[in-house]
Amino acid sequence: MNLCAILLLLAVTTPSWGKDIEVFPDLNLSNPNELKEATRVLEEELKLAARPQTYLLIDLGGSTIHIKSRGIGLHQIPITAWSTGSRENLKGIHRLVARPSVVRRKIEPGASVEQEPISLADMPADYVLSFSHSLSVTVVPSVASDSLIQSAVLLGKVGWRNVKDWTSRFLTDRSSEPTSYLRLTLSVDHAQSLAWSLVDDMAVVIRRPTDK
Amino acid sequence: MGRLLLATSAVVLFLLLVVSAMTTSRVAPEDSQTVHQPAAQDKAGLRTLQARYKALSKQLSQLMPNQPYILVDTARNRLYVKHQEQVVLDAIASTGSGIILDKPGEGHSQWIFDTPRGEFLVKSKLTNPTWIKPDWAFVEEGLAVPQNVADRAEQGVLGEYALGFGKGYFIHGTLYTRLLGKNVTHGCIRLNDSDLKGVYKLARVGTPIMIF
Repeated sequence: MNLCAILLLLAVTTPSWGKDIEVFPDLNLSNPNELKEATRVLEEELKLAARPQTYLLIDLGGSTIHIKSRGIGLHQIPITAWSTGSRENLKGIHRLVARPSVVRRKIEPGASVEQEPISLADMPADYVLSFSHSLSVTVVPSVASDSLIQSAVLLGKVGWRNVKDWTSRFLTDRSSEPTSYLRLTLSVDHAQSLAWSLVDDMAVVIRRPTDK
Repeated sequence: MGRLLLATSAVVLFLLLVVSAMTTSRVAPEDSQTVHQPAAQDKAGLRTLQARYKALSKQLSQLMPNQPYILVDTARNRLYVKHQEQVVLDAIASTGSGIILDKPGEGHSQWIFDTPRGEFLVKSKLTNPTWIKPDWAFVEEGLAVPQNVADRAEQGVLGEYALGFGKGYFIHGTLYTRLLGKNVTHGCIRLNDSDLKGVYKLARVGTPIMIF
């Protein structure tokens, strides 16, 4: 076997996994704070990727929610805007403990009329997700409607949610148990897409932005 | 009427501005991590961080499948066969309808026709599969559930191939190709004949299936 044949064989048979991947393409490798945060997130993600499950990586630095499994990005959801209180409490792995219920249609046995299947449009766009370690994630839809009245209604809803959240945080901060919150503004479609993709006990890890 | 709408919108906007201002002011004190530009003495520390980040990235990439895997997007009813980042096959599928059906004589127990989410493996590969109709197929039609297994067998409805991924769920063919792209199944994943053949050829027992 000549050298070319050996090289060709090696190229075909060498495992392609294990090569470097860009987990956070926006990462500034010369910024120690960014590196520390990325390293922390990777350490958490490695624990999740070692098991057969889907999980969320909320990348606030990259303004993207990643639905992942085994380190593979299955789907990405862009974040329009976000806000939070204490970033310190966003560390660690959190597990989904409560999410909005979805109204499901029921089959009547023997009925001739078929029930309409569930679809993305049935998913909520304005909801609260409760995670372990007292993390609350509020998802609100961004206002991108071309109807003035719809925009006003949506603004009203979001405004009311803001008032409720602020009141809740104001009261909670005075209690003994620390509660962390994260508010994500997504487009309506993306908020519904996220609601669709959630499963009970789903894990989330959050990459916090560092000051540039 | 116009003035009332204008006044309401103004109040809502005012509330939003007030609450947003409060939120922002709560964020600021937490953002006080100082970015240290790497001084001479920090260079070694930076290199250590960079090395750690690269090592963790490599560890994560090693958890990714070293073979083609199947990716199913249940919201958009698409099935992909991917090898690393490359899409090898892209198919329109049908996945679970999300509809519920009461189990007769079992109180509040129900069947929920969702495609399961998470990571699975191809557990079996069948040619010319026979559908052994489960209880729900009879209950749904208002028929009595047969005791004899032979009365449950139905030929030719699953297509030429089926790939089982556990708990009675399969990727299989369909007679109802006009419904591809919709959430209409009882949890299985349907494909047209040519895509099914392609998936059957590319997958083997042990191929990962990521469903979200």
